Amino acid sequence: MLARAAADFYWMGRYLERTEHTARLLEFQLTRLVDTPADQLALGWRVVYTTLGHPVPLVPTDADEAEVFLIADAYTLAGTLVEDVTNPNSMISCWSQARENARQLRPWLPVRVWTCLNQGFMWIRDCDFARAWAEGPAELALEAIDRLHLLVGVVDAMMSRDDAWRFMELGRLVERLQHQAVLLDTWVRAGQPSDGPRLSWSDLLRVCRAYELYRRRRSIQVRRESAIGFLVRNPELPRSLRFAVHRIEQLLSGIDPRGARYPLAAPHRMAIRLAASVEMDPGDEDQTRGSELDSFSVLLRDSRQLHDLIMATYVNYPVERGLPS
Amino acid sequence: MTVSAFLGNGFDDEPRACAAGSGAFADYDLEARFYDEVFQNDGTPRESCRKLVNSLSRASADDLATLQEGVARRFVHEGITFTVLGATRMSEHIIPIDCVPRVLTAAEWDHIDRGLRQRLTAMNLFLRDIYHEGHSLRDGVIPHELVLGCPQYRVEMRGLKVPHDVYVAVCGTDVVRTNDGFAVLEDNLRVPSGVSYMLACRTAIKRAFPRLYRAQGVREISRYPEHLYTTLTSLGSWGRDPRVAVLTPGHYNSAYYEHAFLAGEMGAELVEGRDLVVHDAIVYVRTASGLKRIDVIYRRVDDDFLDPVTFRSDSLLGVPGLFNAYRTGNVVIANAPGTGVADDKAVYSYVPRIIRYFLDEEPILANVETHLCREPDGLAHTLDHLENLVVKEVGGSGGYGMLVGPHSTAAEREAYAARLRADPTNFISQPVLDLSRASCFVDGRLEPRHVDVRPFVLRGREDIHISPGGLCRVALRKGSLVVNSSQGGGCKDLWILRD
Repeated sequence: MLARAAADFYWMGRYLERTEHTARLLEFQLTRLVDTPADQLALGWRVVYTTLGHPVPLVPTDADEAEVFLIADAYTLAGTLVEDVTNPNSMISCWSQARENARQLRPWLPVRVWTCLNQGFMWIRDCDFARAWAEGPAELALEAIDRLHLLVGVVDAMMSRDDAWRFMELGRLVERLQHQAVLLDTWVRAGQPSDGPRLSWSDLLRVCRAYELYRRRRSIQVRRESAIGFLVRNPELPRSLRFAVHRIEQLLSGIDPRGARYPLAAPHRMAIRLAASVEMDPGDEDQTRGSELDSFSVLLRDSRQLHDLIMATYVNYPVERGLPS
Repeated sequence: MTVSAFLGNGFDDEPRACAAGSGAFADYDLEARFYDEVFQNDGTPRESCRKLVNSLSRASADDLATLQEGVARRFVHEGITFTVLGATRMSEHIIPIDCVPRVLTAAEWDHIDRGLRQRLTAMNLFLRDIYHEGHSLRDGVIPHELVLGCPQYRVEMRGLKVPHDVYVAVCGTDVVRTNDGFAVLEDNLRVPSGVSYMLACRTAIKRAFPRLYRAQGVREISRYPEHLYTTLTSLGSWGRDPRVAVLTPGHYNSAYYEHAFLAGEMGAELVEGRDLVVHDAIVYVRTASGLKRIDVIYRRVDDDFLDPVTFRSDSLLGVPGLFNAYRTGNVVIANAPGTGVADDKAVYSYVPRIIRYFLDEEPILANVETHLCREPDGLAHTLDHLENLVVKEVGGSGGYGMLVGPHSTAAEREAYAARLRADPTNFISQPVLDLSRASCFVDGRLEPRHVDVRPFVLRGREDIHISPGGLCRVALRKGSLVVNSSQGGGCKDLWILRD
């Protein structure tokens, strides 16, 4: 697989995952507009924006002020994350980037995958945000999620399990790992004991599409440590950290040109290290409160290093190293 | 009638009252000076188009609009686009497609086919000659200063052995029809484009007219990518499966869709210059698992930008050392560098003489009368008849930089005349051709529009393959003669009948 194409597949996966992540956070926040106290909404916006790596908007902390401010400005806050082309992390920007990557991958991409991605892009590009807002603020996010899920399904049905698919999946899962680590970190920080408003742990599970599974596997009563542990280590949950790092390790094992024989490629070694750290460290119910925060920071740092290693090993390697022996 | 009913009865052998000027063709005005591809001068359909005309007659304007919309939507969703680089941003455009196919009989196609084979054979012999012995130059077949002074002539190619003497492996020749018959408007011997639109058009129109297509007995073109692959790999000898790459300038290039399409269909790598590395005169591609050798490059990058070491040093699109690898024989490049000299618009006027000289045959396909402004008589004639001529830059393409006399203003002609006088060697002029017209569905009506066709010719080690079809370009603006997609033109499917 062409190194540049591998990078494009990888980034396409990352951008698609980023779009879905933004859509899920928006759906969570916009659904709450109807019945959530304004101060909690304000906290919700802070968490959404922080998680997405976007500067936190200036929102009032006083409940009365927030009431007036937030309801009027939710439209703007959401719009920045949906249709603002100057925001590189908005849904339209990410979808557009994914499409640009796909455009360069046409020779490797099944036509149906391209068509599905392209139709999704044209839908969001041509979407009248003001009108969609009037019809129901959360509906737009939900439809975006549905369209992205359709694309994931088409990819699953149409693409061979070759390096093209592996790099795309790798991109999605590295993005997911980083986002989940940031989300957990942000949510835990927002949930530190204080007199102010808090976000519920069941909402965190909902954002991660984990609430139903948690209810079945554990309890309808959601406890802090249990929820964090569930989101870190549950092997059945597609958005758990453990699920992501194990899939990353498997994918890198398939990509490794030495066929996963020793010495393993550097990204593969890093993935194994990440898997071990997820297994051992954060979110353990026996741990003292607050220690997860360090673990999430380390995990985030290591996942960024993993990204750098993937690029250095498979895309930007020096010519001398790549020559046939 | 619903569209589905129309599709279900896509043809009808029963004679119907479907002459030009009546029924569905009520707005179809025939003009004797333009050869009409569908109707004879008396308004009755040509024999080859009878089924098509009957089909169209059975459809309402709404049916056709639905078909047209469906075809266009398919192009939009599948991203069958060309890119236009504006002053500030790049934009993607869908090539306009007309849903009514153009039909040519087997005999008509046979004539074109023989003419194109003859032409390409002569051009390859000519290119070999001018880069080696130069007999044609010494014998005065063509002025040597025209060839050696042509910007596309590459001194680096002199004496260089080109695999199997195939300089031009892929060619797209523009063929027009007038009341006098078929003629070649220009040869595209460097990086001819449009074949992907030809194939996309066929796929779309086959869906739109499934029964008519079957009933007409249309020759297939879908194996073009396979023929292209065979042609390219026939130019070398390998003890293993050769690795082929399509070299593209990148996704900002107007024909990027086509580059990606061809690479995908051939199972070749789609590479940019930055993906290739030359080491010890061997070309490698950067893959995720190290460098892999490349054997054949189907380049869609102009000569100037191929290799910054040999050609333009400021090129960011090329590969340093590529020409050296080519010279060493470690890689095949198609088309060979330096072929542009043979499709120069001034050299074009000598093609009939080139054919006679190298093949000792009369040209099967005529040339369009051409005046070289480099010659005093040609310049004088051009300046005296600007309002009746089409004037082109010798190295121009895409319909840019040309003057269509009858459609120009006095001020435009004056400005153009100044350019002509300043640099006459850069221009040629031709009479305004009465291009043939074919039926098109425009603004809810069936109307005639001017068309040409670009068939694609492949020259391998041993034989020539011509896909029975071509990119049929159409000037969608009423009265316009400019068929280029960048100038408001569109495309339609071309059906070559089996017999």
